[in-house]
Amino acid sequence: MKRPVIPTPAAEWNERSVDLARLLGRIGLGDRAAFATLYERTSPHLFAVVLRIQRDRAQAEDILQEVYVNVWRAATGFDAARSQPLTWLTSIARNRAIDSLRRSRSRPQTQGSSAFDSAADAEDDSVYDTVADSAPGPLDLLSQASDARELSACMEHLSAQQRQSLALAFYQGLSHAEVAEQMREPLGSVKSWVRRALLSLKDCLQRAVQRDQTSVRSA
Amino acid sequence: MDYGRAALADRLAAAYAAGTLRGPARRRFEALLPAHPALREATRIWQERLMPLTAALPPETPPARVWQRIEARIDGASPNAAPVSRTPIASRLAFWRGLAAFASIAALSLAVLVATPSAVQPPIIVVLSSTAPGAGGATPASFVASISGDGRAVVTRPLTQVALQPDRVLELWAAAGAGAPRSLGLISASGASVVRKAALPPGTDHLAVSLEPSGGSPTGAPTGPVLYVGKLTL
Repeated sequence: MKRPVIPTPAAEWNERSVDLARLLGRIGLGDRAAFATLYERTSPHLFAVVLRIQRDRAQAEDILQEVYVNVWRAATGFDAARSQPLTWLTSIARNRAIDSLRRSRSRPQTQGSSAFDSAADAEDDSVYDTVADSAPGPLDLLSQASDARELSACMEHLSAQQRQSLALAFYQGLSHAEVAEQMREPLGSVKSWVRRALLSLKDCLQRAVQRDQTSVRSA
Repeated sequence: MDYGRAALADRLAAAYAAGTLRGPARRRFEALLPAHPALREATRIWQERLMPLTAALPPETPPARVWQRIEARIDGASPNAAPVSRTPIASRLAFWRGLAAFASIAALSLAVLVATPSAVQPPIIVVLSSTAPGAGGATPASFVASISGDGRAVVTRPLTQVALQPDRVLELWAAAGAGAPRSLGLISASGASVVRKAALPPGTDHLAVSLEPSGGSPTGAPTGPVLYVGKLTL
């Protein structure tokens, strides 16, 4: 299935970051207008991030609310010299979303093995289901994200299995066990695919940075 | 940290950022972060590597009620300033005037510790009050200064209108006990100023603003009258 490619180069990520860092600085001083602007500019992205992981919309809204209340209180803790604002915000949102899964998914287990199990299993299955047809799948997302030159080149080094397991874990917030279930592959293999995918990306991105530095020096 | 531990930190940080570190292991990792700078740094680097992947997600505008709830949470007061419309200057001024009024009523040289849930040192907010008593003997709060947790940046902002002659500037000073004040730099009388330093002088317990000729104090010590003073109290 062909999907339109959304242009999302890393350059845009960086550009947006400059403005956002300024806003966060003002929010640290209690500037409500800056906070409203930050919300306006970033909430559609963070909501998308959260919804991928936490499919329950009501819960996703609660998480988003928590994230921004947290940002309002902790904006002064943001260190513009060290972090990209969008990275900082996205990390907070992802962590909250993953934490919410821990709570909602552990519920069926605490009910013990009883007649409720089949119902609980059915509920869990819906959690593991792939995203609704209208939404791009995790693999589509990975290829769209890799519009950034280096990331794209680095993605090509991954095997199909490495790419799929990383996409499921990263975008959907699935655990190793859940990825294994979805891919119908052994848990051990999935663990090693994700692990190798991350290592491969790291090495590849580091080499790209080194190449850039070398070319700057020789220029 | 020897190589083995560094490699372990890197592996855990990668799994944490990718989201595959789960359950008790994730909670343990988060509990370790505040006390382990190397772990924090590894985590930051992995987040910088992976978070741009989320740029591929089609944006989803949240329903308006989310913003309304956020506003209700951050202040019990009347929620206004919908994020879709720019907040008019007048209401922003009203906000600062409101803050100034609050500051004068609450306490004059108060320092508020803003709690942050993270490991980052909380910033210190200092309210600087006018040294000249205003009407009724109350000293109006006139500047608010926010000192970053590591003491390397100070952001100042006037709370009330400060009228200056064109050949005069405001200079910010840090003072430790009875010692000579050290200049932190010039600050704006009309808007926010960011003053960056390697660190605040150790033992700094006061911030002060003096009136100086344009270009700042020629002597390295305050030459004009000290207009505003604020105490750092924890």
